[in-house]
Amino acid sequence: MAVAAAVHHRGYLTSKFRSSSPPSPPKIAAEIRGNTTPPPPISISTNPAHVNLRHLRELYAICNHSCHRFPTVDAAGRVEPVDPAKLHTAVSHSSVVVSAFTKPEFVTTQSSTPSNFIGVGGDWISRVAAPVTPENGRLIGFGRAVSDMGFTASIHDVMVHPALQGRGIGQMIVQRITRMLTSRDIYDIAALCNDDERLFFRECGFGYDVLGSTTMTYTRSASKNEPMISAGRRLLLVPPARGLTK
Amino acid sequence: MPSHDVLALPTALKLYPPIVSLDRRSQPFYPFNSPFHLRKGGRNQKVSILKAGFWESIRSGILKNNTAQVVEPPSPVEEVEELLPEEFVLVERTRPDGTVEQIIFSSGGNVDVYDLEALCDKVGWPRRPLSKLAAALRNSYIVATLHSVSKSSGEEVNGQKKLIGMARATSDHAFNATIWDVLVDPSYQGQGLGKVLIEKLIRTLLQRDIGNISLFADSKVVEFYQNLGFEPDPEGIKGMFWYPK
Repeated sequence: MAVAAAVHHRGYLTSKFRSSSPPSPPKIAAEIRGNTTPPPPISISTNPAHVNLRHLRELYAICNHSCHRFPTVDAAGRVEPVDPAKLHTAVSHSSVVVSAFTKPEFVTTQSSTPSNFIGVGGDWISRVAAPVTPENGRLIGFGRAVSDMGFTASIHDVMVHPALQGRGIGQMIVQRITRMLTSRDIYDIAALCNDDERLFFRECGFGYDVLGSTTMTYTRSASKNEPMISAGRRLLLVPPARGLTK
Repeated sequence: MPSHDVLALPTALKLYPPIVSLDRRSQPFYPFNSPFHLRKGGRNQKVSILKAGFWESIRSGILKNNTAQVVEPPSPVEEVEELLPEEFVLVERTRPDGTVEQIIFSSGGNVDVYDLEALCDKVGWPRRPLSKLAAALRNSYIVATLHSVSKSSGEEVNGQKKLIGMARATSDHAFNATIWDVLVDPSYQGQGLGKVLIEKLIRTLLQRDIGNISLFADSKVVEFYQNLGFEPDPEGIKGMFWYPK
């Protein structure tokens, strides 16, 4: 049985190609959720030098985010902490790294009260005179993308501190990632999502593949004596080295 | 990396040095004195900074080890440190006319873009700009190729070398990898060559402890990948794509 030319290369999709059938994501996401609190002053940086590894690990922990597609989850529903060395490697090999900062006082365990955001009044002075910067702010959001810098990119690990979710910060992060990529003429931007993430990415303007491709992930498990590596809670079979049978 | 070990791999091959403490908030992410940095010979500086805005370029100009220029991820030469390229003869056969054909597998990524373009034409893919093709190859974590080398019997010198298959994967080198652009010359299909390419990619990725391996398969080849251990939408995980407004 001849195998066709295998995976669709997802080729070179110009914006011209795509304009034929975009789905329309809901534009007023926050209102649909019933939460109209605007975000606090946010500084968004795409400079990887602004990422403090320790703070980033803390953010992963507080967002309960795992880098494994199928993470091990304990009885309390928490994923295991991210491996620091691997996180460093992953971030340093991401083509786009976006970090979002806000002033520490805006990060409270309960949602901030609306009085913080009255436009005219005391607040505007602190916004103008002492704006939040990556240096004085606290890391409260993150996202990264891996790209071949030619055609394609995939977005990973988008997260926002739970105290500040639902206020459009995640969308800001994704928008910055996509803008960075499209400014380099990369329009084929993918994000692998579970059910919760799907809703979020839909609101960011993502949809199912117009070319109808099937997302597939390697899941073949190994049995006891076979070579394997663990990826979260899955034990993946390492294919043996072999020549052709013919 | 030996190409024929079939050992159990109970733990990841930890090839990274232990992380240096990065406690000081103002410290840049890639400290010069980190052994990690030195080992990579400056690669840490080369994370792409795409189209930095005006203020960002001013700010990053102040930070010593970072510039606002658009730079690319490491070239294949530097990649040798991390991912040793392999090359071996996959199969050797003698044709009826006496010529010997070898099919050579290589993960060194030495692909001529013109050869690749010709191969893409053969499988019927639309043309893509060569500069982008070159960039995509350069910035892929692994580029695996199959070449056919023919020589007349008795000749010592290598005969003509033809690209007959390729597969590539992008990765963050730690957790995630995506396989793109898998193709085999139609006249060489049906011999298990595509399977070899993919298995080799998976093997290399897993040996580097990169456990999230995904791809986006055309409906015609979903079964091909299922046979190789891929599952469509496992646990409901699907890919979504960006649509410009």
